[in-house]
Amino acid sequence: MPAFGPRELMVDVFGRDLCVACGACVDLCPYFRTYRGKTVQLFPCDIPAGKCYADCPKAEVDLDILAEKYWGRAYEGNALGHTLKIMTARAGKKAPNGAFQAGGTASSLIAFALQTGLIEAAVLTDQEGLIPVPRMITRAEDAVTCASSKYTAAPTLSEFNRALRHGYSRLGVVATPCQATALAQMRTNPLDSEYFRDPVGLVVGLFCTWALDTRGLISLLSRRLDPRRVRKMDIPPPPAEILVIETEEGRVEIPLGDIRHLIPKGCLICPDMTAEWGDVSVGILEGEPHWNTLIVRTQRGRDLVRKAEAEGWLVTGKIPDDNKDHLSFAAAGKKSRALRRALEEGLVNTPEGNGRSSLRINAEALQRIIRE
Amino acid sequence: MYELWEAGEGVRLLLMGNEAMARGAMEAGVSVAAGYPGTPSSEIIENLAQAAWKKNIYVEWSVNEKVALEVAAAASYAGLRSMAVMKQVGMNVASDFLLHLAQYGTRGGMVLISCEDPGALSSTNEGESRPYAKMMEFPLLEPGDFQEAKDMTSWAFRLSEDLRTVVMVRSVTRLSHASGNVVLGELPQRRAEARFKYHGSIMDTMEGPIINLPGTVHVLRSSQQEKLKKASEIFDDSPFNRYEGPERADLLIITSSACTLYCKEAVRLLGLRDRVGILKLGTTWPLPRGLLERHLVRTERILVVEEVLPFMEDNMHALAAILAPSIGIKRFFGKLDGTIPMVNELNPDLLLKALCAILDIRYEAVSESYAGKAAEIASLGAPPRELTFCPGCPHRASFWSIHNALQLDNRDGFVCGDIGCYSLGAISCGFNTLKTLHSMGTGTGLASGFGKLRSFGMDQPVIAVCGDSTFYHAVMPALVNAIHNRSNITLIVLDNSGTAMTGFQPHPGLEKNALGQKAPAVDIPAVCKAMGAKVKVCDPFDLEDTLKSLLEMIEDEEGVKVLVLRQICALSPEKKGKKSFEMAVDEDACLGENCGCNRLCTRIFKCPGLIWDKQRGAARIDEVICTGCGVCASICPAGAIKKKEVA
Repeated sequence: MPAFGPRELMVDVFGRDLCVACGACVDLCPYFRTYRGKTVQLFPCDIPAGKCYADCPKAEVDLDILAEKYWGRAYEGNALGHTLKIMTARAGKKAPNGAFQAGGTASSLIAFALQTGLIEAAVLTDQEGLIPVPRMITRAEDAVTCASSKYTAAPTLSEFNRALRHGYSRLGVVATPCQATALAQMRTNPLDSEYFRDPVGLVVGLFCTWALDTRGLISLLSRRLDPRRVRKMDIPPPPAEILVIETEEGRVEIPLGDIRHLIPKGCLICPDMTAEWGDVSVGILEGEPHWNTLIVRTQRGRDLVRKAEAEGWLVTGKIPDDNKDHLSFAAAGKKSRALRRALEEGLVNTPEGNGRSSLRINAEALQRIIRE
Repeated sequence: MYELWEAGEGVRLLLMGNEAMARGAMEAGVSVAAGYPGTPSSEIIENLAQAAWKKNIYVEWSVNEKVALEVAAAASYAGLRSMAVMKQVGMNVASDFLLHLAQYGTRGGMVLISCEDPGALSSTNEGESRPYAKMMEFPLLEPGDFQEAKDMTSWAFRLSEDLRTVVMVRSVTRLSHASGNVVLGELPQRRAEARFKYHGSIMDTMEGPIINLPGTVHVLRSSQQEKLKKASEIFDDSPFNRYEGPERADLLIITSSACTLYCKEAVRLLGLRDRVGILKLGTTWPLPRGLLERHLVRTERILVVEEVLPFMEDNMHALAAILAPSIGIKRFFGKLDGTIPMVNELNPDLLLKALCAILDIRYEAVSESYAGKAAEIASLGAPPRELTFCPGCPHRASFWSIHNALQLDNRDGFVCGDIGCYSLGAISCGFNTLKTLHSMGTGTGLASGFGKLRSFGMDQPVIAVCGDSTFYHAVMPALVNAIHNRSNITLIVLDNSGTAMTGFQPHPGLEKNALGQKAPAVDIPAVCKAMGAKVKVCDPFDLEDTLKSLLEMIEDEEGVKVLVLRQICALSPEKKGKKSFEMAVDEDACLGENCGCNRLCTRIFKCPGLIWDKQRGAARIDEVICTGCGVCASICPAGAIKKKEVA
């Protein structure tokens, strides 16, 4: 694949309004920065090829190249991606306790990976008011400080880039699907650097249907509450159709219809609900608020889960068929909606001469997904 | 210049036009002179200020040109000879009072000097102010060389007293800033007495109260017409209007000011002295009617040569129409028919072209092949040099932070600019941050307007910048307007402790005045606070603190915020040569092309004190020009630029 640089990134991603503020291009250089949930370029840069473009999950992402590298075959477009095992999970007794969104599986796995030395440091996402703030931790007990879901786009990977600059290797990341995609691309050494070595020790993917524009949400909520006093947010499963916000004063419900316009366009063309490029992926388990769904995708993920369970950091169970079917149905729906929209906008497999693609995927898989 | 006020009568000195005018004023016994700095006028007040102690002159840098004219008028009303000095744009600031000054008239001789800038070499416009003389009805003089610059300035005071009106002397850059030989006249030894007399009747313009009232206007204007008529008669015999040429000329050039020299040179080069006459006018409003009638009758074709507006040309056409019964119908050439360019300065080459076209002469100043070769070599030899801020200029650091704050904010915010070195914020050395640039104070006035457009859907952050001197000159009323009308703006005062662009003249924020005396300083943050703005003072060299403050202010959507970025100009006499830091690049740490920074220091930040060493592929400090401000150490992402505090 030809390599592109910041000039093309400005056209393909910022120019098309596809940026989801994942932070992959931030803090690699002095030019891309993140501020209050937005990624910006401070000054123009004209280098011909850069990691900013190569890692971006919204610019020339070739799912077949990634599938070939990580799964050993072309991208098939299964609803849940490549899976070794799907189960239910929650934090075990030995895991540090915290204000988990659901079962605490992601925090427990990260804490365990730190405890056992599988990873040297972990990049997580904390929150200041409604503004997501990336944070790097090195101690297992700190994993819970970043627990709970953020419903706004987070520049988590900027902290990953900063950690690399400071010499960390074997990094663990709790990543949304777009962030996991960026990391997967980064691990293929797309610029063929001779100094490259894979710095990723573990990716715990998070299920995600979309994130909201941070500033838009703050401005919307400011009319109803003090955004600095938000403690927790949740979107209960259908048919609730609400965003529930718990503040120090109480509980506020916002109809999803009121916030849909705050979903960045980049999320609407994202085909990945379950973080297909993680070692494991974690999400809620419908009907069981204190449990998670856990998808194991790689050998590394499988080993970690087994060990964590054996040492009492994680409890797992069999996932009911109904739950699995619902999850697959939702994930397939997102895939098909996203790719149809992306196709309409000319962002998939863009033919030469019409600009560059956001996403590349073999025609067979594409047809299968769209038909569903 | 010491000799300027010491040398006696008959001494010949090489003087700049502005020095000559200062000397002329001293020879006329000027007592009070006031002005506001502006290129090309500033040296007149500066020279008078140096002579002030010896010669019992009161000289001040006023807060703006209107006040300067008022200060000078007060002296005239008290019976003293006085002078106000400004550049062409300042004339517009002063014009409100000027209309009233001209209508009522003066007592002690009063001269208004306007040094103008054809070609806009150091201005944001090519405006000119000769039409004020016609519009507001007072006499206008235009010296044609350095001797005349002195002599006419001196004579202007006498003329003012003869007519009891303000007299305007107009200079241009090529006269004010060029030098020539001047034979000096006598310096008076008297000390004038000031007394404002107002006990006479309201119609007594010498001893009554000086009141412009609706009821008195027709009397005052009638008197003005009388004065202009008398001026025209005096001008008919003025030695400053001179003709050189044959008795009957194929072509008569009528010109004034520095253009006189261009005309003489072109006529000489073409060998046309027996065919073309040059009538050089020193008194250009009102026109010397009798003199012109005598000259116009002796030719059929007339070329009017002047810079900027076709001021004389228009007036000449009108006069020729009136005189047609006695002089006949004449053919005019000039700006209006395209013989002379309407825009930009003139020069002898343009005159050669005009004369060749009118007289159908073939003339090649430089052969085409030579011109071609010369152009070729010139492009090889001279590296392109952009306009830029000086090494260590605080404005570069300020605009760096302003630019970054607006980018991070990401709402397409913009800066309304103003007049000063910081006008360069509009180009790459200021990271293209300024998006409007007009006259002094206008940045804040425009911002005040932009800041009220939220209800029309404009959510862009609005910032205004101004310099410290500009703040006092014209920003204060606009700031009051923004505060009172709840405009949502941030004003950034780029306070570099002096009127830097024009040569560090003091202003009301400093503890000294034009005469070097200790003076009370008017504190900008205190003024803004008292007006009701939220005020913060930062050091622009502290990039982090400045950025943080700016982001807070931009996000604060309630009313007017003022950020004073205070850091003395790197070239100011107080600062010059003193380094805070010794700067060095750690060659091992500078990763050069491999850094990923893509040469941020020399490609974007671009302080002239930083050099990109192509051979070593790394940045370097130019120790000769580096002022040791230390800012580049904060922008290097690799931490390769090191600063060491100078003990």
